[in-house]
Amino acid sequence: MASRVLVQCVRSFTQPSARVIFENITARASAVPVANQRHFSFNACSQRKALTSHTKVSSPLAQLCRQYGDLPPLTLDTIRERVLYVLKLYDKINPEKLTGASHFIKDLGLDSLDQVEIIMAMEDEFGFEIPDAEAEKLMTPQEIVQFIADKKDVYE
Amino acid sequence: MKPGVYSALALALALACHYRRSVVPEIFEKSLRAFLIGYPKRCPPVSHSSIARAEGESVGESLEKMASGFLTHQQKVLRLYKKALRHLESWCIFRDKYRFYACMLRARFDENKDEKDMVKATMMLKSGEEEFWANQHPQPYIFPDSPGGTSYERYECFKVPDWCLDYWHPTEKAMYPDYFAKREQWKKLRDQSWDREVKQLQVETPVDGLKTEALPPARKEGDLPPLWWQYVTRPRERPM
Repeated sequence: MASRVLVQCVRSFTQPSARVIFENITARASAVPVANQRHFSFNACSQRKALTSHTKVSSPLAQLCRQYGDLPPLTLDTIRERVLYVLKLYDKINPEKLTGASHFIKDLGLDSLDQVEIIMAMEDEFGFEIPDAEAEKLMTPQEIVQFIADKKDVYE
Repeated sequence: MKPGVYSALALALALACHYRRSVVPEIFEKSLRAFLIGYPKRCPPVSHSSIARAEGESVGESLEKMASGFLTHQQKVLRLYKKALRHLESWCIFRDKYRFYACMLRARFDENKDEKDMVKATMMLKSGEEEFWANQHPQPYIFPDSPGGTSYERYECFKVPDWCLDYWHPTEKAMYPDYFAKREQWKKLRDQSWDREVKQLQVETPVDGLKTEALPPARKEGDLPPLWWQYVTRPRERPM
């Protein structure tokens, strides 16, 4: 996911530089017209002009706004999807029995050590630590989603 | 658009977005709702409340049983397990190797988990802690936002408390009229409930002194939890 964002950033970053390159090329082409290449250069010029006109629309903003790399923003739905995905990957859980409100110990028949492992998997998935005091109280996927949304200020 | 206008707009937007509820006032209501729903979980640690909880007891009350701050044996074992797995992950960086040794560690925990003799169990826990201390990683992986991590408290200096909003100039406040109108309503609510919160805290504080910093939940119907304003208007985790 992060790589996709970075690729987008790079693409939008290179667009103004591409515009600069095209401008130079068009300037040079117009300065040195060659007879046998006129047809080609005219086409190329028109292509480049079309491209520059295409990029000119976004270039003021691209020049003025600085781009940073970051993870895509979290929403409650994506958090829920990821939590359930990680839980389905765990081999001690039956994916058919798993719902948002299924209790790990009572409904899914897991152990407290399994619950610790699940919380650790959630920490690895979302990239931040869940303290022990609060981790031992998270017993259903819905509670985990609420906790992560609370920590990450998702729809607050 | 001229560059000056754009940057002024961007600055205004950044200032507005700095505060959690700038974009849509409903988000502020949702935060209060989320706060009230999730509030009992702010209480101190407790041994498996799912097993120990009596029928008909509210979540807040059962979670307050362990307000003394002492850990049960089960909690200590679970914390040792988690620490051991994290340090094992730092030692075995390749995932398949880590998986293998994690399963071995889990098997070691599982074979002794049905021990009924608490003396023996405590001795086993003690030897486990000593073994952990001997085998710990010198530079374990710490998550960036955890204490000791690279990003810990990095954005603390940018977290502005909500009372600064009251010091905005009226022309600045006029840019977000409906938000500030809503904020006045919330402040009225805060003023109304403040006396009741203080009374509840005075009633519930033990005579000897507090055992824990955790706040109790709201006891009466229609009452707000004590010191809710501080929690609801807390700054974002990542201030913009």
